Amino acid sequence: MEFGLMQLWEGGWVGALLRGASVTILVGVGAMLLGLATGIACGLIKWARVVPLNWLVDIYTTVVRGVPELLIIYLLFFSSVELVARIGTAFGWAGLAETGYPFLIGIIAIGAISGSYSTEVVRGALAAIPTGHVEAARALGMPKARIFRRIILPQMLRIAAPGVNNVWQATMKDTALISVVGLQELMRTAFVGAGSTRSPFIFYLVAGAVYLAITFVSQSGFKRAERALVLKGRA
Amino acid sequence: MDWDLLHRAVTTIGKGVGTTLTLASVSLAIGFCLGLGLAVMRVSGNRLMSGFAEYYSAVFRGTPLLVQLFLFYYGLGQFDFVRENPVLWWVIGGGTHCAIMALALNTAAYTSEILRGGLISIPVGLIEAAKAAGMSRALRFRRIEFPLAIRQALPAYGNEMVLVIKGTSLASTITVLEITGHAKRLMSQTYAIFEVFTIAGIFYLLINAALIFAVRRIENRLTSPAR
Amino acid sequence: MKLKLLSLAAVLACGLGPVAHAAEGELVIGTEGAYPPFSMADANGNVTGFDADVGNAVCEKLQLKCRFVVQAFDGLIPALNAKRFDVIISGMSITDERQKQIDFSNSYGEFPNQFVVKKESELAGVKDLDTLKKDLSGLRIGVQSGTTHAAYVEKNMPDAQLMTYDTLDQMQIDLSSGRLDTSFADTSAQNDFLAQPEAADFQLVDVVIDSTSDATLGKGLGIGIRKDEGELKEKINQALCDLGEEGTLKTASEKWFKLDISQKCK
Repeated sequence: MEFGLMQLWEGGWVGALLRGASVTILVGVGAMLLGLATGIACGLIKWARVVPLNWLVDIYTTVVRGVPELLIIYLLFFSSVELVARIGTAFGWAGLAETGYPFLIGIIAIGAISGSYSTEVVRGALAAIPTGHVEAARALGMPKARIFRRIILPQMLRIAAPGVNNVWQATMKDTALISVVGLQELMRTAFVGAGSTRSPFIFYLVAGAVYLAITFVSQSGFKRAERALVLKGRA
Repeated sequence: MDWDLLHRAVTTIGKGVGTTLTLASVSLAIGFCLGLGLAVMRVSGNRLMSGFAEYYSAVFRGTPLLVQLFLFYYGLGQFDFVRENPVLWWVIGGGTHCAIMALALNTAAYTSEILRGGLISIPVGLIEAAKAAGMSRALRFRRIEFPLAIRQALPAYGNEMVLVIKGTSLASTITVLEITGHAKRLMSQTYAIFEVFTIAGIFYLLINAALIFAVRRIENRLTSPAR
Repeated sequence: MKLKLLSLAAVLACGLGPVAHAAEGELVIGTEGAYPPFSMADANGNVTGFDADVGNAVCEKLQLKCRFVVQAFDGLIPALNAKRFDVIISGMSITDERQKQIDFSNSYGEFPNQFVVKKESELAGVKDLDTLKKDLSGLRIGVQSGTTHAAYVEKNMPDAQLMTYDTLDQMQIDLSSGRLDTSFADTSAQNDFLAQPEAADFQLVDVVIDSTSDATLGKGLGIGIRKDEGELKEKINQALCDLGEEGTLKTASEKWFKLDISQKCK
């Protein structure tokens, strides 16, 4: 039974897979940050019921959570090539826009998807803050900004932490989907290697193992962060 | 407004709706049974069984569905012993069957977590009362634990069902012509990206909306006001 | 916060004019990089193959530096329109559908297409197109998505089960594992496949289908150019004419395909 282990090693694919894994992590982190920023903004809009913005946010979350991620990626990849390139140029990344085009599109696409889930987590966390706290703060005459900074934000972060962990796990796995539009991340590298060596089994097995490793490491990281947050909260 | 194009898009993509629904329903059915079994294994006292269930869940929830799909379709399809075995080849050989298997195994892992949450949320007092009343293990499970777990798990399971519907779109990467498969093909031929995406998206939104509506109805029925 | 900045920047960017993509004196060429022997890319992004040779020759004629950008085949046209590169050289045929989106240079080559089947298959001995069309009904035919081959099979063999793949590799893997009964692509790509060890049981069907036989197969290979770049198109046509006269195209063709598919300009 030809498992192809030798081909994996000899073809220099190990290096390529590691490089792919680093791209995966970069895209995942980038998308997660973009998604969190979007999620906090949209979650606040929905919680504060800022009309008509919250209707837009509703449309955004409904569409992105109801339509398959693959379809959204195809849409962004096939159509908004120019928009992405211009955004890239605006940030002074003109060079990146060409060579890193799939990279940018990957972050934006996965970030948009991640953002819709983050929005729900943030909104749920904000809704879980006891209204009594905010009322008491207002009664004390605290200005709005300080209420947000001292009362709302810390509690929101703490309550949202497990939800954010879930969104992160989902975001990391969603990055595999950008492989279908050609970004050289982990899944794509495995795909190319599988095709050229004709040994798909070992390649996808290794890819799966790497994703598992990333999941495992981030799980333990999150557990430690959660413990730190809880301790801080007690003080 | 290109009506010809819209008409073509709706009829072509509509052809995929049946496949999407078949993929989702069969995977959910198989996945639910598997997930239930895994959940029971997980809460059982047996170390071997609960360990297996835990690892199964971690592996299938910790890797992307796309990797699992390709591993089964291309990876297993590489081996002669699979190609020559008629049963195995019936499962892995065709895109549709393979996609159903991958989706079922995947949703089983998530379902087992959801049902496990349902099972351990049952108040201990109820179980003790059932034991005191002399109910056998099987009877206790059938009349007390299972119904209560299902009711508790229903909202989360409704979510999972929507995720499975979305997961069927990945079957398009292994030649299955469900909604996304037809949409992608149409996009390649006509370059009418936005229009095709909108039509396909609407199909999915309608299916998911109907699903959520049905789940909410069942939820309301099950949690009828206490007498 | 970050969202506001992002949207502000996007608005500003729209006024910044087209993406500054090419340095002066550079021709950016979009190609698939996964379609031997036309276009192959290695892990570092170096492109080789017939398309690369044609591209380099054209660049030399135009006195520009060549830079290749690798991209999935069915995304090439949208990316060209979005100015991600200046031209497409990727074994792309000139078809009416495509001409609605972009412009093409004059045809610089025309290749035949054939089916590949298992040696034991009943199709192996078929010698004429009509019998072939009849025999193919109900069978699983593999093609690459967005290609003229896909359009041809869809139009001429509607009873067959058409299976589209994003890449040639995937299609060939499924053919050799028995998920397909046959595959349809241009003869040179098929020959490339038959040279591999796993294709030992396969052969070409002796029915050659060239592009003149059906409109779906297009009017020959063309270099894809944006519609508003008339000047560039003139220059490229001139360069192709010269290369055709000098025999450069013929040499490149024989090197990669072992036959001459090049066309002289009219």
